[in-house]
Amino acid sequence: MTTSLLALLVVPLIGAVLTWALRPAWALYVLTATAHAAVLALAARLLGGVLQHRFPHAFASWLDLDPLGGLVLLVVALVAFTSALYSIGYLHHEHREGAVSGRELRRYFALLHVFVFTMLLCAVAGNLGLLWTAIAATTVTSAPLVDFYGSHEPLEAAWKYILLTTAGSMVALLGFLVLYQAGVHLLGASYDFSFPTLMAVAGRLPAPEAASAFLLVLVGLGTKAGLAPMHSWLPDAHSQAPSPVCALLSGVELNCAMLGILRVYALTAPAASPERLRLALLGFGLVSVLVGVVFLVSQQDFKRLLAYSSIEHMGLIAAGVGIGAPLATFGSMLQMVNHAITKSLMFFATGNLLLGFRTRAIASVGGLARAMPATAVGLLAGGLAIAGAPPFNLFVSEVSIVAGAATSRQWFPALALAGLLGIGFLAMVGPFNRMVFVPAAGPRERLGARVNRLLLVPIYLSLAAALLLGAWVPGPLHDLLGGAAQVVSP
Amino acid sequence: MATIAYLLSGVVLLSGFWLLIARRIRGAVGDYAFQSWVLGLVCLATSWQSGRLHLLVLGLSTVVVKGIVIPTVLRHQVKATVYERRETSYHLGFPSALLLGSALSVVGFLVAARLPLVRDPLGEPVLGVAITVVLLGFFTTLARRDAAMQLTGLLVAENGLLLAGLVMSAGLPLLVDFAFFLDVLVGAVVMGFLIARMHETMASTDTSELTRLRG
Repeated sequence: MTTSLLALLVVPLIGAVLTWALRPAWALYVLTATAHAAVLALAARLLGGVLQHRFPHAFASWLDLDPLGGLVLLVVALVAFTSALYSIGYLHHEHREGAVSGRELRRYFALLHVFVFTMLLCAVAGNLGLLWTAIAATTVTSAPLVDFYGSHEPLEAAWKYILLTTAGSMVALLGFLVLYQAGVHLLGASYDFSFPTLMAVAGRLPAPEAASAFLLVLVGLGTKAGLAPMHSWLPDAHSQAPSPVCALLSGVELNCAMLGILRVYALTAPAASPERLRLALLGFGLVSVLVGVVFLVSQQDFKRLLAYSSIEHMGLIAAGVGIGAPLATFGSMLQMVNHAITKSLMFFATGNLLLGFRTRAIASVGGLARAMPATAVGLLAGGLAIAGAPPFNLFVSEVSIVAGAATSRQWFPALALAGLLGIGFLAMVGPFNRMVFVPAAGPRERLGARVNRLLLVPIYLSLAAALLLGAWVPGPLHDLLGGAAQVVSP
Repeated sequence: MATIAYLLSGVVLLSGFWLLIARRIRGAVGDYAFQSWVLGLVCLATSWQSGRLHLLVLGLSTVVVKGIVIPTVLRHQVKATVYERRETSYHLGFPSALLLGSALSVVGFLVAARLPLVRDPLGEPVLGVAITVVLLGFFTTLARRDAAMQLTGLLVAENGLLLAGLVMSAGLPLLVDFAFFLDVLVGAVVMGFLIARMHETMASTDTSELTRLRG
């Protein structure tokens, strides 16, 4: 198990190094696909261990995979794989069109491997200092990817992204230091600052320290997880980056930051009064859902539409944990998986639109049903999925969260969330329907025929997963989600 | 030795204020380098006093990474023209910046006094300095328009965090500290790279031109 854990981290790093040695484009593609398939296989093996309660760990507890980390590992490995496939198709298209040079191609794939490495490190970090470093490193490694196209707007997005999220990470670091200090009272001046060590004494941490550590981390990492009102960088970064990178940023990087918040919540809630911490989570969650939905309505840019939907989804995850009922916490865990699958699906589908129409304006895209039928099916189904329609997966997790609030008699969050999700549903379904069915005004390039197969495979893989999870949560996944919920609120 | 540590933290605080009135990027980066050296000395003094060997390593690596490597990298990455230019594009004037800075230091010390957590020989006053320096760094990032100045503000804020860490978590494993260092170093390099790109694309590093993305 330990070997698999180390291999999981080493494989993407080797991939990154090799990208600089390989010249031909096809070799880069083969390398990227192989490395990410290997990561997926290793992740599956490690998760098998987690499900049998043989938690993989290495270097004392520097690396330590528990069910909560396992859940994040699952989404990172899954979306990294589909996104790698999509990257190959996307960059191949751009390379052939002459928009991306061979040098830029290598730079892209090298950065992609390193970015995936940092996210895998978030999932398996058992030491809280390492977890903080890994979360901060995801920003540093992905900012050059946001700036990949290098013109004015991507640069602006990348600068805001790195400046604001780094400032947020620093606030979070202060929180982690306070948490360390809280542990000193019980564990002595020098202890290893690992999650299991602190969790063992979580109930006896001094309450004021625990509460201030949690609030600092919530605000700091909340900035990175896209919680309102610290979200202002998110729509820019998630609309300017190349589409396969957006899928990773929106689908899983936000979840990595959320993992940090949830870990600190788990550590501090037993000592500080859990009701107050939950209220803070619920407050940020509700505000995020509100902000997300308000900006969804009458959004003109389809990638920004998806970005605001991510803010809404992250808000729901925070709110679900904040509600605190077991059903809602479970729903939040499921929401992490479902958000990752459907949001990456939508960034792949809109990536094809971008390649075909070269615009992000909803009004300029039309008649997809004829121009790009295969993409149109994915876009329409995916649009329904992220809006939360049955029979897709997000419907299940969103209903779980709202039902969790209602059954624990928290009427305000239940009603507010139900109402906002309804409005969000209408705001999201409209634009995608129009782009697919209403013919475009004026002559438009028809590039539908030129979209290569690798640009469609990841869409249909994700769609299959979205439908499957909408109908039925498989036993092992159910156990993993249950285990993760158990870690978050025991 | 405690007196020396106090004195040196006072110097760290002063260099935080100096950042508010630095007119050139060269001055701000130099100020950051100076502050990092002093911070390294604080680590050494604390190490002497408490006998913790790993603080010695921490101090030396602070001097090397933040006092030498990062300023050198910035000097190379930020184009000479920008580096020497007089920074006039503040969102507010120097007197009001200083006034707000003093207000922030009051906030910093109040917060440090309210946090019921210091049991270290260095104690509360140093934590006050640390939090003030973090706030001054963030303030610089917000109030300055030049990207290189904003980056320097973040780096200074990070120095404040290191000082806070010295008070609150001196026992943190050294490997964690190294991970933090690596993160700061790579972060500074990437941001320096973005600043260089900005200079190529817009022939300026004034972030008040970065307002095209809305809605």
